[in-house]
Amino acid sequence: MTAGSQGPGEIQGALVEALDLVIARRGSGALPGEHRANGRGTGTEIQQIRPYQYGDDVRWIDPAASARTGVPHVRDHVPERTLTTWLVVDVSASMAFGTADRLKSDVAEGVGLVIGRLAVRRAGRVGLLTCGTPEPRRLPPRGGRTQLLALRRALTAGVAPDGYVPQDALAASLRQVGRLTRGPGLVVVVSDFREGETGALAAGADDGAAGFGDPAAHRRPPWARALAALGTRHDVLAVEVVDPREATLPDVGHLVLVDPETGARVEADSSSAELRRRFAAAELARRDAVKSHLRAAGARHVEISTDGDWLRALGRSLR
Amino acid sequence: MSFQAPLFLLGLIAIPLALAALWRARRRPARYVVRFPAAATVAAVVGRSGRVRRIVPPALLCLSLAGLVTALARPEATVAVPVEKASVMLVTDTSGSMEATDVSPSRLAAAQAAATRFLKRVPKSLQTGLVAYADAPYTVLRPTQDRAQVETTVQSLAASGGTATGDALASALQALGTRDKKSPPAAIVLLSDGASQTGRDPAEVAREARTAGVPIYTVALGTDAGTVSQGGQVLNVPPDPEALAQIAQLSGGRAFRAEDSDALDAVYETLGSRIGTRKEKREISAGFAAAGLLLLGGAAFTSLRWRGRLP
Repeated sequence: MTAGSQGPGEIQGALVEALDLVIARRGSGALPGEHRANGRGTGTEIQQIRPYQYGDDVRWIDPAASARTGVPHVRDHVPERTLTTWLVVDVSASMAFGTADRLKSDVAEGVGLVIGRLAVRRAGRVGLLTCGTPEPRRLPPRGGRTQLLALRRALTAGVAPDGYVPQDALAASLRQVGRLTRGPGLVVVVSDFREGETGALAAGADDGAAGFGDPAAHRRPPWARALAALGTRHDVLAVEVVDPREATLPDVGHLVLVDPETGARVEADSSSAELRRRFAAAELARRDAVKSHLRAAGARHVEISTDGDWLRALGRSLR
Repeated sequence: MSFQAPLFLLGLIAIPLALAALWRARRRPARYVVRFPAAATVAAVVGRSGRVRRIVPPALLCLSLAGLVTALARPEATVAVPVEKASVMLVTDTSGSMEATDVSPSRLAAAQAAATRFLKRVPKSLQTGLVAYADAPYTVLRPTQDRAQVETTVQSLAASGGTATGDALASALQALGTRDKKSPPAAIVLLSDGASQTGRDPAEVAREARTAGVPIYTVALGTDAGTVSQGGQVLNVPPDPEALAQIAQLSGGRAFRAEDSDALDAVYETLGSRIGTRKEKREISAGFAAAGLLLLGGAAFTSLRWRGRLP
């Protein structure tokens, strides 16, 4: 357990009950369920009525249409299946940061638990893939209470130790999800989306300060490409966890900052208003870039801050 | 540059030691660091100026250390000091062969120009005299500080007649006055384009000059292709560097050879710094100490300004 971690806090059951994964359009489970799926199959909604062909199930012959036309007709239905949800949770060292109510990783843990509880409803299945630790944790998609317990155990195992640099771990996890899933489903990505920003920012810094105002100055990171590939088949919910302190630098004089992942040390004079202004602008540009990458991937974007009630913020975006 | 106390230069070892200590201190995990996921953004914002600010104060400190240690070793610089009351006689050949145009514009004109430049270059305290000669020395100017007079005389020289080098040197020696061990230094610069034809033997005068302590610097002017036309006849007038070299060697001076006006200028430049000045060692510790202190101040200022502490 990471130092300073307080856990996700109380998750109000009533609030969770009121939520549902309405954003998922298509299911793909083996069992009949509530989500529409691709193709044809059993369901309640009629897709079309067509002439009977040899091999069709005679039980689906529509008597009224057959009588009207004099030719036997069958009904095709839109298949309705259960939903498979994949949770991709970033547990890299940069998630162990929080200056308001709790750490970013605590919020991520809570979001993962709530999504899991919503996902296993109505015979749904949920799978988990963490990224950012040397050994990624992985739960194959299953349903039921036992899976929820396993999910809770995997999520509370904490974040990566400082000094471990995940090389495109988020992108690799997203690609792995793409390989593992059979049919379309829901993919929920919980991260701070700070991966691969060092190179992008260095490229922006070379252009000078002007580069920060322009999101196009940031190159498209690998995770954005992987997410765009996922977005073509799945519904993607991207939960970005942020801390208010990351957006602005306080005026506290000379600072020695260390990157939790790379361990790179930066000395900065935070009493310089110019520096603080440029930092805020650069962070804003980074957030804008993340936003545009997510939009380009067709993902639904939810921003959740470590201050305030994360459950309500999540609920607002899920309803 | 030399040092009066070079042993103190061992103190320069302190600089690599200080750099190694700094490097170690920067590698050691600092006690007061803040974990910050947006550190990469801060690094990008701080950018290159941040790296400069990390490097400049220690660099200034090391330079100041180097300056102060060097000052401790008491460095000396060799400087050219003008010699007091030194005198030099310019002995210039104005024989007919000086009209040859193998040296542009002509041997005599090149010699005049070079002599004028020489007079401008040498220190003010140097006394210069002039002997112009052809069949016999005809213009003798005693050593004087009046440059204008010498210059006008040089400009008014015209070429004609033979070459009486020995006599010219003798009158130059005479113009320098009676000399003993305590007399201020003196030298003769002989510019000629041929061997002595009439008058005394130059070698004999050169020996006299040596006893008087007057070195004769000789300049052989012209190329082997130099010609003059005399009465409808074209005569080849090559210079005689061997004879001049002998004069220089006998008197303790040096022989030069100039085949064009640029070379002549170069020769006169060498002579100007050789005759008019003396090499002297001066201690320059104060300059190093001042530079060291300035750099120290710069290091303290930049470090306080940028990093809020002394380096």
